[in-house]
Amino acid sequence: MIHTACVHRRELSKDLRSILKNSLIVHSIMADGQGHIKMNLVGAPVGMLEVTKVYSAGHVDYPAFRGVTLKIERGELTSIIGPSGSGKSTLLNINGVLDRSTSGRVKTDGIDLRESDDQLARIRNGKIGFIYQSFNLIKPLTAVENVEMPLIARKIPRNLRRDRATKLLSAVGLAQKAHKRPTELSGGEQQRVAVARALVTKPAIVIADEPTGNLDSKTTRELLNYITEVNRTMGTTFVIVTHNPEVSERTHRVITIRDGMIEKEQRLQRIDSFAK
Amino acid sequence: MFVSDVFELAIKALLDRKMRSALTIVGIMIGAAIIVALIASSNGLSAGISASMGKIGANTLVVNSAMNFVTGGSQSQYKLSQDDVRILGAISGVTKVIPYYNKMVTITVGGTAIQGEIEGIDLTQLPELYKGIGLSDGAYPSQYDPTAAAIGSDIASPTGSTVQIGVNQMVSVTLSGGTGNLAFLVKGILVPYGRVLFSNIDDTIFIGMQAAQLLLKTPYYSGFYVLTATADDVASVQAAIESQYGSNVRVMNAGSIVSSVESVSSQMTVFLGAIGGVSLFVAAVGITNTMFVSVVERTREIGVLKALGYQSGQILSVFLSEAVVTGAIGGVLGTILGYFLSFLIGGIMPMGGGPMSSGASTEPVFTADLILFALLFPIAVAVLAGLYPARRASRMNAIVALKYE
Repeated sequence: MIHTACVHRRELSKDLRSILKNSLIVHSIMADGQGHIKMNLVGAPVGMLEVTKVYSAGHVDYPAFRGVTLKIERGELTSIIGPSGSGKSTLLNINGVLDRSTSGRVKTDGIDLRESDDQLARIRNGKIGFIYQSFNLIKPLTAVENVEMPLIARKIPRNLRRDRATKLLSAVGLAQKAHKRPTELSGGEQQRVAVARALVTKPAIVIADEPTGNLDSKTTRELLNYITEVNRTMGTTFVIVTHNPEVSERTHRVITIRDGMIEKEQRLQRIDSFAK
Repeated sequence: MFVSDVFELAIKALLDRKMRSALTIVGIMIGAAIIVALIASSNGLSAGISASMGKIGANTLVVNSAMNFVTGGSQSQYKLSQDDVRILGAISGVTKVIPYYNKMVTITVGGTAIQGEIEGIDLTQLPELYKGIGLSDGAYPSQYDPTAAAIGSDIASPTGSTVQIGVNQMVSVTLSGGTGNLAFLVKGILVPYGRVLFSNIDDTIFIGMQAAQLLLKTPYYSGFYVLTATADDVASVQAAIESQYGSNVRVMNAGSIVSSVESVSSQMTVFLGAIGGVSLFVAAVGITNTMFVSVVERTREIGVLKALGYQSGQILSVFLSEAVVTGAIGGVLGTILGYFLSFLIGGIMPMGGGPMSSGASTEPVFTADLILFALLFPIAVAVLAGLYPARRASRMNAIVALKYE
C-alpha cells in the first residue's frame, strides 16, 4: 500500500515529522522542481511509535508497555522473545488489532488503528491471521469448517469458501482429514488446521503466540518449514512470540522484550529471500 | 454473515450439547403444549355449547322453576302448572307455550348404562322446537301411553356396544337416586341430532306429556318452552316473565345462554392461557440459564471468533439464533403435543356436574390464530430470554476471552 503525500519545501521541516509519524516508512522522495517534494510512503505491516499500554486493575495501574517503537517490514519473519510478563502478549495483541494502545501510534498494514470496534474486527478478518499455542479450534466444527470460519464472517459464498478452505488444508497436508473434528486430530494436525485457518484470508500479517508450545520437536520442525515456505513464497509477514530458540533461530530478526521495552534487536537474515 | 450460516453455526452448537439443548427445548415445549391444549379445548367447549344453542330457535325462551345447576333439582318451591301456561300465553308477543317434564335417568341397554333423561312433551311440537328433528324408524308413540317411547339414536345403538335396539323392543330405565325402575316399548327411533341447550337429544327418551304425568305421578311441569313471534320479541317477553314471576322461575334464551357461556369460556381461556404463559416464563428462565452457562463455557470460542474478525453483531446473532432455534423447535413440538393433550383435557374440562356436565365433552378447536401463536410466541419468548446472554457474549473482551481456561 503506497500513499503519496505532497508538501511544500518551506513546510517540509514542520510536516515531515508528522508525515513520518503517520506513515512510518518513506519509500522514496522526489522534488518536482516547483518547490514541492513528493514522498511515496509505504504502510508497513506493523508500525508502532512510542506505544504505551497500561492495564488498570481496580485502582492500580500496571504499565505493560513503556514507549515501544517498532517497525516490522513487509515479508519479515520476526520472532519476539522475552521472559513471562515482559509484554510479549501485549505486543501481539496490539499488533493483532485485538487491543488498543494507551498512547502512541499504531499502524497495521498502513491502517491507523483509531477505528471503531467493528472496523477493527474487519481489519482482523481481512489482514491478520492468528495462530495460538492451544490451537483454539472450534470443537463442534470439522477441520474444513474451522478453516472456513474467517470467510463466513465476510459473506464468501459457500462453495467458494469450501474450495479455498480445502486447498489450504491440502497445502498443510490434511486433505484426508478435512471432515474430522479437532478432537479426532493430533496436536500437530490441529495446529496445521489452525495455520490453514490463519492463512485462508491471505492476510498481510500472521500473529503467532507460542505456536510450537504444545508440539513435539518433529512437529515443530514441520510447522517451521511450512511457515518459512509461506513467508518465502507468499510474502506473508509473521510475528512469532516464542520461548523456543529453535523457532527464533529460523526467523529474520529476533526482538527481545523486557519490562515492557525492547531490550535488543538481532538481525539473523535478510528479508529479500522471498519472491516479491 | 449469511443468515443460513448464522443458523448453521447455531444448530451445530446446539447439537454439540444435545442433552442440554433437548432439556431446554422440553421446557419450551411444555409451555407451548399447555397453551395449545388448554385454549383449544376451551375453544372447543364454547364452540360446542354455541352449536347446541344454535339448534333451538332464536325466538325460543326456556322457563323453568329456577333449576339448580349443580343438582339439576328445583331451587324454588314454586310449582309450574297449567295455570302458568295460560299466564305465559297471555304475555304479548308469545305465540306458543309448550310445557315439558324431564328427569335424569340411567338407561340400561344390553348391559351398557347411559346417563340420559326422560322428556315428557307434546310430541307433535318436537319438529317446531328442534329444527330438523325426525324419526329414522317407527313412529311417535301415543301421547297417553306411559309404556311407549321414541328414543334417541345413541340409546338405539350405544357407542362402544354392539347391541342394537329396534322398534318394538324394550328399554329399561332406572330413575336417578334409585327411586324406581321403568320400562318402555320403543315405538320410534330419532335421527342423530346432538345437543340442544343442556340436553343431548340422542340420549333422551321422549314420551308424551300426559304419559309422563301419569308415570311420574305429578300434575306439575319441569318447565316451558315459550315461543315468540319474532326473535326481537324475546327480550321484552323475558322481561315480562321475570317481572311476573320474580325469582320463582329462571328464564333463559338461546342468545343469552350463548353469550354467558362465551364470556365464561373466554375468561377461562385467559386464565388457562395465563397458566401456559407462566410455564413458558419458567421455560424462558431455563433458556436464559442454559445460555449463560453456554456463554461462559464458550468464552474461549467467543474470543476466537473475535480474533477471526467476527463483529459484535455477528456474535450476537449467532447466539441469539441458538435461542430462536430452541424456541422454534419447542414451539413446533409443543403444538403437536398440545394437539394430543387437548383431547385428553376435553374429557375432564372442569364444568361441574348437573345439566352442564352433559355439555362438557366437546372436540377441541384449533384456529389458525392459535397455531400461529403457539409457533411464534415461544420464539419471541426465547429471543427475549436469550438476548441478555447473547449480548454478554458479543461484548466480551477478546483478549480476556482468549485467555479463559
